[in-house]
Amino acid sequence: MRMTLYHGEPNGPSLTVLAALFAKEVRAELVRIDLESGQRHTLWCAQEPWVAMSVEAEGPVLVVEGEAMTDSVFIACYLDDVGHGAALRPADPYGRWEVMSWCRQVTERTAPAAAYLGCRVHPPKADAALLERIGSVDLRARWEQVTAGWISQDRLADSRSKILQAVERIETRLEARQWLMGAFSIADIESFAWLAGMVSLVPAAFAGKPRTKEWLERVRAQPAVAQALSLARSADPAASWSVGPEINRWG
Amino acid sequence: MHSVTLYHWEPNANSGKPMLALMEKGVAFDSHYLDLLNFDQHQPDYLAINPQGTIPAMLHGERVLTESTAIMEYVEEEFPGPRLMPEDPRDRWRVRWWMKFMDQWLGPSFSMIGWKVFVGPAVSARDPGELKAAIERIPLPERRVAWRKAIYGQFSEEELKESQRRVALGIRMLEQELAKRPWLASSEYSLADINGFNLAYALPLSQPGLSNDELTPNTLRWLRAIYARPATKACWAMGRTSMVRRVSILEQPHIGAGRVT
Repeated sequence: MRMTLYHGEPNGPSLTVLAALFAKEVRAELVRIDLESGQRHTLWCAQEPWVAMSVEAEGPVLVVEGEAMTDSVFIACYLDDVGHGAALRPADPYGRWEVMSWCRQVTERTAPAAAYLGCRVHPPKADAALLERIGSVDLRARWEQVTAGWISQDRLADSRSKILQAVERIETRLEARQWLMGAFSIADIESFAWLAGMVSLVPAAFAGKPRTKEWLERVRAQPAVAQALSLARSADPAASWSVGPEINRWG
Repeated sequence: MHSVTLYHWEPNANSGKPMLALMEKGVAFDSHYLDLLNFDQHQPDYLAINPQGTIPAMLHGERVLTESTAIMEYVEEEFPGPRLMPEDPRDRWRVRWWMKFMDQWLGPSFSMIGWKVFVGPAVSARDPGELKAAIERIPLPERRVAWRKAIYGQFSEEELKESQRRVALGIRMLEQELAKRPWLASSEYSLADINGFNLAYALPLSQPGLSNDELTPNTLRWLRAIYARPATKACWAMGRTSMVRRVSILEQPHIGAGRVT
């Protein structure tokens, strides 16, 4: 089956999909795109609803038989289904629920916070012509805010607290285990992908969290994650950010 | 007593998702109705089950499960009965994409309008001191904001306009997708349809200018097909409020533009 993965620097959602791809030994043509300059919106499939309206925003796109797939956790689930490497989710339904509900908390609460904080310090840049190509009105508005340097102090504070909560949750979870779900899983990859860049941006979140720090290094050393990170073109891929998921509008 | 207990509100939005999934699978469960309008979900006995104070939650034996969409996947995998996830991995991806899109982008916009029209007015006449205390008991800060806005009518024109924009776009997207295939995410009935019905069952009533048999024939066909299923009928019969009784609009054989009042 012919697959093409359009991906950015190995951080955030691109790291999740690259690591899952390598862990599952799935062959795909890898095509680098510059997510930080909005290059995803120049792809042939940019106006497909899956791409234009992806809740994840500036993430990788996996094309399988002409269908452009987005949202990194679900792409990772797909790769887990079709690939040959060790399973990235537990076999039993309860363990699988744990992975999906854990990842839902990451994508809904941690990812928007990390992207907001990341973009503030390492802002992506897109020119006016590119912004006009963005199919989603609300994603374009977030790009315009980032480009103009508009920062909300309330959102900064809220985002920092979401990172603190995420690390606290991981530290608790690791009390009696090496990996978040017992065995290395999509939950480890997805959590690492969004938090690796937060160590330098929200150091307070990681202070006094020895288990989380050790876990970060364990994930980093996993062969599939290391292979994904080896594709970095910058010295510090964890400093590479683009516009992420929307922070909850309300509720 | 069954091995499954579901803590839920109305067959609507997040509560209705595991309710309908369980009923489609034929899984008997003990129903524990939480009155959202009475803030039952923020009482200590429920917070002991789900500290975030969100509805629904499900007990299966000793297991406690939250997050309605993840619960549906658990129900699908744990229990025998009709399959609610397609076999093809790419179809399964599509089911999940649509569920996330509805849960995190489209649903909150429907919900904002619903809370302004139904939830806020239903509780705002209560004793002001009691309401203030009820809001302060809500564990998640973002839910506190949501309740405050609904109770005190604080949704801005700008955010309501944005929600209406998203609802209109979401309706167009659903119609385009349902023009391609009988069900939302694949050629068979799935969790994406259960999720979508919970969001859109009253669409021709709540958005008559955007959704009717002339403008969105495929969406109306889809809603009627889900409503015709015995599990859906049984599930919506568990509703206690006028909000969920709106589902009877789907009994009308034709809903033309401007025909609904």
